[in-house]
Amino acid sequence: MGVLMEVKNLVTRFQTQEGTIYAVNDVSYTLHEGETLGVVGESGSGKSVHALSIMGLIPMPPGKITNGEVWFQGRDLLKLSREEMRLVRGAEIAMIFQDPMTSLNPVLTVGTQITEALKLHLGMNNAQADNRAAELIDMVGIPDARKRLKNYPHQFSGGMRQRIMIAMALSCNPKLLIADEPTTALDVTIQAQIIELVKQLQKELKMAMIWITHDLGVVAGMADTIQVMYGGRIVERGPIKSVFGDPRNAYTLGLLTSLPRLDEGHNRQRLTQIEGSPPDMRVEPVGDSFAPRNPYRTERCWTETPPLRQAEGSVDGHMVAAWYDLRQARKQQQQQMEGKR
Amino acid sequence: MSAAAPKLGNPSAQNQNDVILKVRGLKKHFPINSGIVFQRQVGAVRAVDDVSFDVIRGETLGLVGESGCGKSTTGRTILQLYRPTAGTVEFEGRDLTSVKGEELRALRREMQIIFQDPFASLNPRMTVGSIVSEPLQIHNVKRGKELREYVESLLEKVGLNPFYINRYPHEFSGGQRQRIGIARALALNPKFIVCDEPISALDVSIQAQVVNLLEDLQEELGLTYLFIAHDLSMVRHICDRVAVMYLGKIVELAPTDELYDNPLHPYTQALLSAVPVPDPMVEENRQRILITGDLPSPANPPKGCNFNTRCPVRMDVCFRDPDPELIEVSPGHWVACHRVP
Repeated sequence: MGVLMEVKNLVTRFQTQEGTIYAVNDVSYTLHEGETLGVVGESGSGKSVHALSIMGLIPMPPGKITNGEVWFQGRDLLKLSREEMRLVRGAEIAMIFQDPMTSLNPVLTVGTQITEALKLHLGMNNAQADNRAAELIDMVGIPDARKRLKNYPHQFSGGMRQRIMIAMALSCNPKLLIADEPTTALDVTIQAQIIELVKQLQKELKMAMIWITHDLGVVAGMADTIQVMYGGRIVERGPIKSVFGDPRNAYTLGLLTSLPRLDEGHNRQRLTQIEGSPPDMRVEPVGDSFAPRNPYRTERCWTETPPLRQAEGSVDGHMVAAWYDLRQARKQQQQQMEGKR
Repeated sequence: MSAAAPKLGNPSAQNQNDVILKVRGLKKHFPINSGIVFQRQVGAVRAVDDVSFDVIRGETLGLVGESGCGKSTTGRTILQLYRPTAGTVEFEGRDLTSVKGEELRALRREMQIIFQDPFASLNPRMTVGSIVSEPLQIHNVKRGKELREYVESLLEKVGLNPFYINRYPHEFSGGQRQRIGIARALALNPKFIVCDEPISALDVSIQAQVVNLLEDLQEELGLTYLFIAHDLSMVRHICDRVAVMYLGKIVELAPTDELYDNPLHPYTQALLSAVPVPDPMVEENRQRILITGDLPSPANPPKGCNFNTRCPVRMDVCFRDPDPELIEVSPGHWVACHRVP
């Protein structure tokens, strides 16, 4: 499949009173047409800021994209003017956000809000836009579409509002949908409904998707590729099964082993915990930012930043940023444990 | 529900002395008022509607359900932070609903709560030392040098450096703040702690730390927990028994592994099947039971069974008969469903 978007050496910083925040530090990757990319990370890992940078939604100031290129359909999005970018946003790349209440305007009916993009990007007249809006509302599974267009956001539940956001995002048939924690504020049964809906729509509309989340379970069920971010960097990336089955970065491994699983019996064994806390983004990163919490760190991790490169012995595009070889290190650790016994 | 108050069948707990908390027919209805000057009650939000269960000394009882199901209100009503509309809460043989004033305050030393949001539950103008020592001062337990030394030992117990005693909450990370909240809850040596979503506001890599801490403290101090949560994977790990709530009522209650391996209520089944598992191999072959629609309003619950608006296996009787009662189908496994004999 063809390349849809190429992000190269993206660096985003914020200048605040407390100093510079190093939010995104040299992020590069390629997204293919129709691909679902899951971006996983904790708060402050740069996963959302990197997406907002692509969309040109970083408030400047205080934010600044100090370096990088985002190639999308033969154009560098970061070089486009405000006006040009407005035509890309919504039409070619759409975005849905975590909180559907704050992303909808409470004083306008949902009909007005959906038709706005249709009129702006597709040049529809009122009647056409109304028809299309009703179709979209119907497509995302809201019954009684025509009547519901005249309702205000507060008349819908959280799950319904997220469906409306999805309808708005898909209104102009975008080639890429960026979903920033779209189900985090929802209950699990509603989350399952929304995920099913998005998966089905993605298949129908053949669009690519970037799904940003902190929930490894959500990504496991839907993504083709997973990208783990920590301290504003990609620390591991690859096909979903390779990364979950054979994690090569100590942070990914830590996350996977610290999660209790629904399908595993109740036992009172302690969870494997990752020590320490996430890095302070106000400090310029030196070396591998996971080093202070990493039991497998090497001397080099403190001083040099590991590049994202092909994982040892991988053929399917599994990439890792680490100076240590996690497979080797774990094997040694196991031998030592056995030796002690 | 008359005589159907469940007598819990934990085999080791037949001895009544082992029951630390006995909740019977607990109701909490919040009035809905209308009118500006002359307010009259026009309805009620039935947040908790006839809930009965026992908590056994030393166990962790999980209370799960979606937002708005009344799980937090149940926890707060037990502690008499809300006064119940009806029902009794017996703590070590004393009915809390009939005591008040100084007497209730004295009893509060035995029961504490840990809140969800470590940012909102700590006073930003108080130092860590004064936050943790406040309960001790209110109950006049310790003073002066003794108090300070005790607070320092508490901080140490929850994994914080006692050196931080004069710092303010904003100087700490989310996980550290939750530790401060835990230290405050432990200050008076309680027997029973309501943990109201203690980890849901924390980053994934920090959750395991806090859960391990709660488990260690339980073992060391012989605590009993009521663990309110919506993360069903974590609940499976930490809880001995689990109660599932829907629209103010308990629909199923069972020992943890029994509930997860053999869920009988259709809502429990749907809830469990909606939880994503962080393993792409498992997710690939998973059959989900999707339930449609949203949670009905607790101000206007459906006629008949509460779950009949969303239930995938509803029958006529579910609309005709009143809400099914909680019955014991196997030792310790209670279900409220017309489908289950």
